[in-house]
Amino acid sequence: MNKEDAKRLIDEALAVGRQNLLEPEAKVVVSAWGIQVPASVLVKGPEDIAKAEMITPPFVLKVVSPDILHKTEVNGVITGIESKEEVGKALTEMKMHLAQKAPEARIEGFLLEEMAPEGVEVIIGGLNDPQFGPVVMFGIGGIAVELLKDVSFRLAPLDRTEVFDMMKEVKSYPLLTGFRGKEPVDMDELASAIMKLSEIVFEIKEIKELEINPLLVCGNKVMAVDARVILETI
Amino acid sequence: MITGTDISFFFDPGSIAVVGASPTPGKPSHIILENLKIIGFKGTTYPVNPKYSYIGDLKCYSSLTEIKDNIDVAIFVIPASKVLETLKEADNLKGAIIVSGGFKEVGDEGRKLEEELKKVIERKGIRVLGPNCLGVYDTISSVDTFFVTGEKVERPKKGGLSILTQSGSFALMIMDEMAKDDIGVARVVSYGNMVDVSESDCLDFLADDVATKVVVLYIESVDDGRKFVDAASRCAKKKPVVAVKVGKRETGVHAARSHTGAVSGRYEIYRAAFKKAGIIEVDGYEGLKDACKVLNSYTPVEGKKVLIITDGGGVGVSMADTCEDMGLEVTGLTEDTRKRLRSKLPVISATGNPIDLTGSVTDEDYVTALEEGFRDGYDLAIVTTLWAPPELTEGLVDKLKGVMEICNKPLIICSPGGKFARRMSKVFEEMGMPVFFTPESAARAAAVLTGCKR
Repeated sequence: MNKEDAKRLIDEALAVGRQNLLEPEAKVVVSAWGIQVPASVLVKGPEDIAKAEMITPPFVLKVVSPDILHKTEVNGVITGIESKEEVGKALTEMKMHLAQKAPEARIEGFLLEEMAPEGVEVIIGGLNDPQFGPVVMFGIGGIAVELLKDVSFRLAPLDRTEVFDMMKEVKSYPLLTGFRGKEPVDMDELASAIMKLSEIVFEIKEIKELEINPLLVCGNKVMAVDARVILETI
Repeated sequence: MITGTDISFFFDPGSIAVVGASPTPGKPSHIILENLKIIGFKGTTYPVNPKYSYIGDLKCYSSLTEIKDNIDVAIFVIPASKVLETLKEADNLKGAIIVSGGFKEVGDEGRKLEEELKKVIERKGIRVLGPNCLGVYDTISSVDTFFVTGEKVERPKKGGLSILTQSGSFALMIMDEMAKDDIGVARVVSYGNMVDVSESDCLDFLADDVATKVVVLYIESVDDGRKFVDAASRCAKKKPVVAVKVGKRETGVHAARSHTGAVSGRYEIYRAAFKKAGIIEVDGYEGLKDACKVLNSYTPVEGKKVLIITDGGGVGVSMADTCEDMGLEVTGLTEDTRKRLRSKLPVISATGNPIDLTGSVTDEDYVTALEEGFRDGYDLAIVTTLWAPPELTEGLVDKLKGVMEICNKPLIICSPGGKFARRMSKVFEEMGMPVFFTPESAARAAAVLTGCKR
């Protein structure tokens, strides 16, 4: 889908009073701007398992629900599914957990995705601030962001120098350049992804918050493993 | 009369009316009249108060309407409740400085009054500074609307620093400090509640103001974020703009539904805005004082490479640590330079960065160290002089000044110590070289010149 399709998707969601996009929809938006996402299929029930043949294992299965914001807290994510056969088992298991932990949640389906390769996990986010307009955030995954708030911010639109400055600004920056013998990540590819996200929040003012968490960076591959979009009528 | 967007008349008024003028010494309005006289305001001063026919040797008018000429700036020093009616009846005003408090800073009632005020001035086309402000202290056009005596808050001399602040008390503190440190200012604006004229309008004016060499901002909150970034960017392209942001703990307005929302407090966004605009952010009051001091003498440099020279090993290490913390680059000397230094300096000197000239230092060794060191492409140097070494003399000041002129790089002098050090610092400052008394303060000053935003 292209940018126009993505914008239409947002308009339609707002038209029916929704305040956020589902994960597959958020991924449509980021991929419309050229940020890569894992290959996936949407399954509703056991009858859709055959669709798994269109993608390559290992898989990850994720619940798709407008009412569930933190999927892992309700066992809404199962990783390391090695075959089409295991998908059915995973589906049953997840449904059982969801029935217990989120009985009220509306379930739109389940996203069956190819698992991303291992790499450095970063968070890139954007928001439209009521006072300063579009803002972009960068941080290097997990504890560094959540606990230590080791993140950097810039106002969009961004030029390449600003993107590199904001990456270097976080204390955990060495994790990108080959910390303890790890492969360094492709900074140019990562910078491009940040610029694309900056363009999205700059162009679509209805996006109140957009977050790709994690954005996986492995060698020269950059992939949005999960994406979240919060909308606002303007 | 419809005034328009140009606010430069606040900084060069031909006439000033003081509404609520009092003949009683000590009253704010009387202090303003006195201060206008003391600074030598060249335009016409009109005291306005129906109770008096003269205040001192000035004819006092019963109302603004009684004054037949147009008035550039009317200073309102009357209760908030009376400001509106007085404004409404005047048709000869270009601008007003509303000193009076009692508007939105006091709650709902005041907020309503201020909204009303906004409507009135928009309808009449009058530009307004305030309310709840001190107004303008301007050494270029000789205007002083601050209702505080020079005895309590000393006025700085004429110079190139211009200060914009929401807070009046901050304006007073920084002015007093600048006067004490003999740093000159051009325009100081305390703009209070910003019912009309905002920091962005002032930045627009200061950007094109040839008298302003450096702009200092004290920010609690800005009015329109993007407008501020645009105005500050334009200004920062022409001259250094330094800002201190207070109220850092204000929580964000974003829902904590994503990490991005959760970690983005107001301060984080302000920082991003400062960076976008090219503003040099400083930390707190001390940081701002250091910035004023260093920018009063030097202009910012291109890179971040700092050379540290000292005659005390301990203070040198401490200086290097602090510089690193501030984001400066304390890169080592090249082998060639070290060789040359070893052949020219006392044998026990340490030729790294810092260069430690030790207790056997002479005045000339400092010159050698700087001349050789600067060949390695440093952007600036911090010279930390402890005056203990027996062969060090007052002549050092002249020598350093000479080196600075030849190398054309800023020298930040750090001179910790007591009576003697302070006496020497006076000599440095008379030569136009600012002196800092602790490694932290010197490193902060260096960071300001390199644009490190800490």
